[in-house]
Amino acid sequence: MTQPKIAVDLILKKLTESTEQVKSRAQKASEVLLSPLKTDLATTPYEVVLEIDRVRLKYYRPEKIKHKIPLLVVYALINRETMLDLQPGRSVVQTFLDHGIEVYMIDWGYPTRKDRFVTIDDHVNIYMDDCIDFIRNQHGLPKINLMGICMGGAFSVMYSSLHPEKIKNLVTTVTPTNFDTDTGLLHVWMKNTCALNMGDAYGNMPGDLMNLGFLLLNPARLMIDKYIGFFEHMDNKAFVENFVRMEKWIFDSPDVPAATFRQFIEDCYKKNLLIQSRMELGGRRVALEKITMPLLNIYGKYDHLVPPEACELLTRHVGSKDKEDICLNTGHIGIYVSSKCQELFAPKIAGWLKEREKKKTAEKKASAKKTTDRKTGGKAAPAKVVSEKKAGAKAATGKKKVASAKKTATRKSATEKTKTRSAAAKK
Amino acid sequence: MMMEQNKDKEKSAESLMAEWMKSSMNFWGDMAKAQSPFFPGQFAKSDDTPDAEKEREQTGKNAARQAQKTLETGSKIFQSFISTISKPENLESVLKGIDSVPDLMTMLTRQSWDSYSELQKQWMERIAKTGKQTKAYNFDDIDQETFKTLREIYENEFQKFLNIPSLGLTRFHQEKVNRLIDKSNLLHVALNEFLYLFSTPLEKTTAVMQEKLEEMAEAEEIHDDFNAYYNMWVKILEGHYMTLLKSPEYTQVMDEAIAALLQYKAAKEDMLCDVLRNFPVPTNRDMDELSKEIYLLKKKVRTLSRKLDETSPAE
Repeated sequence: MTQPKIAVDLILKKLTESTEQVKSRAQKASEVLLSPLKTDLATTPYEVVLEIDRVRLKYYRPEKIKHKIPLLVVYALINRETMLDLQPGRSVVQTFLDHGIEVYMIDWGYPTRKDRFVTIDDHVNIYMDDCIDFIRNQHGLPKINLMGICMGGAFSVMYSSLHPEKIKNLVTTVTPTNFDTDTGLLHVWMKNTCALNMGDAYGNMPGDLMNLGFLLLNPARLMIDKYIGFFEHMDNKAFVENFVRMEKWIFDSPDVPAATFRQFIEDCYKKNLLIQSRMELGGRRVALEKITMPLLNIYGKYDHLVPPEACELLTRHVGSKDKEDICLNTGHIGIYVSSKCQELFAPKIAGWLKEREKKKTAEKKASAKKTTDRKTGGKAAPAKVVSEKKAGAKAATGKKKVASAKKTATRKSATEKTKTRSAAAKK
Repeated sequence: MMMEQNKDKEKSAESLMAEWMKSSMNFWGDMAKAQSPFFPGQFAKSDDTPDAEKEREQTGKNAARQAQKTLETGSKIFQSFISTISKPENLESVLKGIDSVPDLMTMLTRQSWDSYSELQKQWMERIAKTGKQTKAYNFDDIDQETFKTLREIYENEFQKFLNIPSLGLTRFHQEKVNRLIDKSNLLHVALNEFLYLFSTPLEKTTAVMQEKLEEMAEAEEIHDDFNAYYNMWVKILEGHYMTLLKSPEYTQVMDEAIAALLQYKAAKEDMLCDVLRNFPVPTNRDMDELSKEIYLLKKKVRTLSRKLDETSPAE
């Protein structure tokens, strides 16, 4: 057996170079780490306009309003909504504002042990409903646009099915609705373990425990490689700032109320009731065919938490005629924060919403023209007239509801305005 | 022969017992007398000196007198108890009980030793296996037998001691303590098994890397950049983890670890709640009940408020 020839001298030379590099990097890194770093999240100004228990409704106002209908963004209970406004230049919220959309966002807050009995029904039919009624009332609109993210997307689907009369357009992003898939590890584990009891045992499902679970999904990359990458770029201030921001966001995990966690695992992961329209909230069935508003469903091709298989079935089960699936070449978080998706994701949603608004205006103009034609002896379109009448009746009902919502909101706002103003002032 | 041995044993035990009785009686007698400076007159005769009588009157607090009486009674009871069991007919039965203590100890030691031997056997088998090549991206050869054995040994040999029915006033507390010890042991076994399984990709990756390096050296393709090796290593490690994490074996072990953790937590909280009841602080159980009441009340108020808004005429 011949002895393999190894270029020992070359290896030693490289080793010397590497040592020099490490030494110089360590010096620069210490300078970077000891200097003031900009690692603040969610710096886009907002106002807290409503507070219900621990839940807050944030309002972001664009410089110039170009959209008539505001957008409510519902984030998941896992991690925080600050991800949508991670940093200047990587902010979904800022992009929406740049497109002239008024953005409302639900901040679920940090549940404590007293929130352990709060169910999905409470989140959807109380907190979300109160927020939506408030926005409708503020803008004098019967319907608003709704966008859901991950678990918040599932909540938005449930809401749109139970209250379709309040939602104009629905946007779901990385939203799991079909849980019967073995592609994602999370689906396999949730289906085959007793994880659902964790919430009950701990009072609420601890955020740290969930984060540990997420790290275990890819230990080689998330527990080793990620930090080696950090050490390699510690001398780069911009890199360090971005890394720390991301770390701040990742490990800022509120607990999930035990009852909500249990129901989500039981009804969705284990029984897969949502996509089958068999899930029940507050005694009412969540029927997907009742979702008739335009639907835009966006998900990531390389999403390891909510794989495409978990998202793509939704459009097939809803009653909407105007529906669209978009699969982006990215992962679960990359869809919102990667520089590549900054040009694809939020601008696409803004454009889609604008199109629907224009379409509606054009339809209204056309119908108004038809009515004038009919009055002036033009050809009548009976079916259309009937539907218009219905629409008119609906609008009237909607107005009544708005009035009632207005009343409720006025009562609330009297006590809440003070709170809100002081919170905004603090901000 | 055996009979004679037993008799000798009994005799020696008897004499030992008698000696112990005597010395303990002396000890307790001395101890009781030693109390006399604190409780004067306790061991003094009724016709004691007038000074002592005066002293007694001076210290004549009711509590002290009561304590004296109690101690005197206790001492008498103890002395009579010792005298009773010192009688030959009673001593024999006591000795029988005492003789059974070493038997119990022997049994426990034997069980511990047997279990240790069994474990050692498993470990030796495992050590012998380490020389064999580990299969890459395959987790069929995972050696979980050691942990299974450990659990079986615990469940069959030791768990039963924690399940001995508790008696008396503190039986429920004792049961909770035993349950906590039991669940803690089970958690340790489950956690060890989980950590072992979780670390197997590292072992397998090292083996694969070694092979790859040998191949590269043979082909004279050794990299001079260390990052290339690290990237290779982390990629192989990720592949191994992906294979392991998807395997039903891993899911099962993880499920067992979660279940053990939850049971341990429940047992710990149960015991802690008992302890906290002795302090003027509310326990989690109390707070949960209160939270539930508030939650239900809030819900009721919300529903009523909504109904009121719907029924009242619009302004």
